[in-house]
Amino acid sequence: MRANVWSGRNTVQVENVPDPKILNDRDAIVKISSTAICGSDLHLYDGYVPTMKRGDILGHEFMGEVVEVGKGVGTLAVGDRVVVPFPIACGNCWSCKHELYSVCENSNPNAGIAEKMFGHPTAGIFGYSHITGGYAGGQAEYARVPYADVGPFKIEDDLTDEQVLFLSDIFPTGYMGADFCQITGGDTIAVFGAGPVGQFAIASAVMLGAERVIAVDEYDYRLQMATARAGATDAINFRENADVVEQLKELTGGRGPDAVIDAVGMEAVSGHGVVQAVDRVKQAARIESDRGAALRDAIMACRPGGIVSVIGVYGGLMDKFPTGAFMNKGLTLRSGQCHVQRYIKPLYERIRKGDIDPSFVVTHRLELGQAPDGYETFKHKQDDCVKVVLKP
Amino acid sequence: MATPPRPLDATLHGVVDYTMGTFLMSMFPKLAGIQGTRSARQIRLAGAIHAGYSALTDYPLGAVKTLPYKAHLGLDAVGAIALAATPFVTGQHRQGTRQWLPHVALCVAELSSLLITDPTGRGDYHGNVEAVRRANSIAPSSKLRDGGPAVRRPAAA
Amino acid sequence: MSKVATVTVLGPREEVERLWHELAAERGADLQASFRTAPGDRGTEIRVEVPGAPSNPVGQAVKKLSGDDPLAKAKDELRRFKQLFETGVIARSDGSPDGPAVERQLKQRPAQPLEQPERQKAGV
Repeated sequence: MRANVWSGRNTVQVENVPDPKILNDRDAIVKISSTAICGSDLHLYDGYVPTMKRGDILGHEFMGEVVEVGKGVGTLAVGDRVVVPFPIACGNCWSCKHELYSVCENSNPNAGIAEKMFGHPTAGIFGYSHITGGYAGGQAEYARVPYADVGPFKIEDDLTDEQVLFLSDIFPTGYMGADFCQITGGDTIAVFGAGPVGQFAIASAVMLGAERVIAVDEYDYRLQMATARAGATDAINFRENADVVEQLKELTGGRGPDAVIDAVGMEAVSGHGVVQAVDRVKQAARIESDRGAALRDAIMACRPGGIVSVIGVYGGLMDKFPTGAFMNKGLTLRSGQCHVQRYIKPLYERIRKGDIDPSFVVTHRLELGQAPDGYETFKHKQDDCVKVVLKP
Repeated sequence: MATPPRPLDATLHGVVDYTMGTFLMSMFPKLAGIQGTRSARQIRLAGAIHAGYSALTDYPLGAVKTLPYKAHLGLDAVGAIALAATPFVTGQHRQGTRQWLPHVALCVAELSSLLITDPTGRGDYHGNVEAVRRANSIAPSSKLRDGGPAVRRPAAA
Repeated sequence: MSKVATVTVLGPREEVERLWHELAAERGADLQASFRTAPGDRGTEIRVEVPGAPSNPVGQAVKKLSGDDPLAKAKDELRRFKQLFETGVIARSDGSPDGPAVERQLKQRPAQPLEQPERQKAGV
């Protein structure tokens, strides 16, 4: 089959690779109908995540038709249309039973590697380096899905692929970010990052009843989508004025937002040139793995007693975390890779009811063979690119 | 096969500019053993000029963003060559290796950094945006604006 | 100088002990395990003491890199047992088709599906 594989920094190639086969009784094989490029794929593309190997198939947002099931899978039949959550979760361990699917205790065969980096291993993830197990990803024609009786979610309605594909990752991720904020009526939520996850965090904050949602980014076109489509009430472009903390205070009568969602992660950009330059140099020299500009600003901007909800992906260590601001303002910091399996059913219901149409983020629909151009266009924000969907 | 990217983007180039400019003005003459000579004054002046026009450049580390980035890179190249030529023009190269070697070495260093600098200011984009536009069945800008809000506010409680 | 490998398995102590002894023959190493009920609803703790780890840092490092580290092997066996008990299968990926194995950690396959001969070798 054809698959998009990692071939070194800033390089992906579509190559012929073997078709996946059932390895375990609880596996299923899915023929992929649609898949997408994620902002976190860019951390792999940019070479910031260690343990990548040439030939690794990328992609963790995919859906399609079940074509084969292992003997132990009673919940799926050949022909079922499914969306596959990106965390691979067994459903049986203590963590899974407590709905903490993205930290499943059993699904990562490379637990030893993950343990060294994080203190404890976390769940396997499709197509996301060997730290998360070295599973082949979904930017391909077929994928093997382990624990297929737990993950894949059946779509039985007449919704298009683009309306349900994002249940695999970015819609639940944005929603979990907003969910962590414990929104009550009248709240003001700031969302740092207006990429696809940020757009869903904004939309979710709106659905959960926030009165004002402020989008922060450096690209006007993404801020336009945030206000015109995702429901943001205000927008801040930090290229025009780098002092985000001050501008957020101005918009909130000096109070600051009640919660801040960090939908940016480890490749954060600061409007302050010097901060940005120092972080870039340190990251290039590999003495700092994570650029923490967005997280720093989130902690400074959040109102005292508020919540900072981190759904942007980080990998290692950042320099200069504002422990003083965090502690003295009494902030709550909540985070995690999204526990997709927990949210997928209620969010599917919202799509069916018409509360949200997730396809609004899709700006590019390309054939799988164009994945390399798709990655470049997405990475460099060319052609008003927000989200790229690939069709195998 | 993609060409190797030029790793020095506008931000990192700025870091090099200010660092080198300051270094040339402060420690370099002493380290090169030319303190107090004409060469030292020339190199200090070069450092000052370099830092000066860097601060006026329209790039992430510029203070007053008026000079276009490509013009800055042009000045870097011209300035480097001018610095290397200075000892030969003034004749001071006859006074010993130390009176021309630092100038030439600095010129070589500057030209090398220019070789690995990305001049476009938009990173090492090596995709084919025209092919993407042709293949894309969606008009991206319409998704940014049209269609109204894609999310419904909850009904008032 | 011995070291401890430990894991918590979500199940009642009698069942965990029973399966542990049933699978004794299939284990890669001879491990002496002790069992204790974990607090709350967390299941059963299994504890294995690994004797004879080299006492000097160089020796330890050499053993770790060559995959010949008894502590890491014990941890592997505990992980595999936990997976079998809780999920019924060993976690297999394309990078690590044999499941948890310390020798694999440095020698990963690329994350793409296996060819038939490789599948046979991995026993799947």
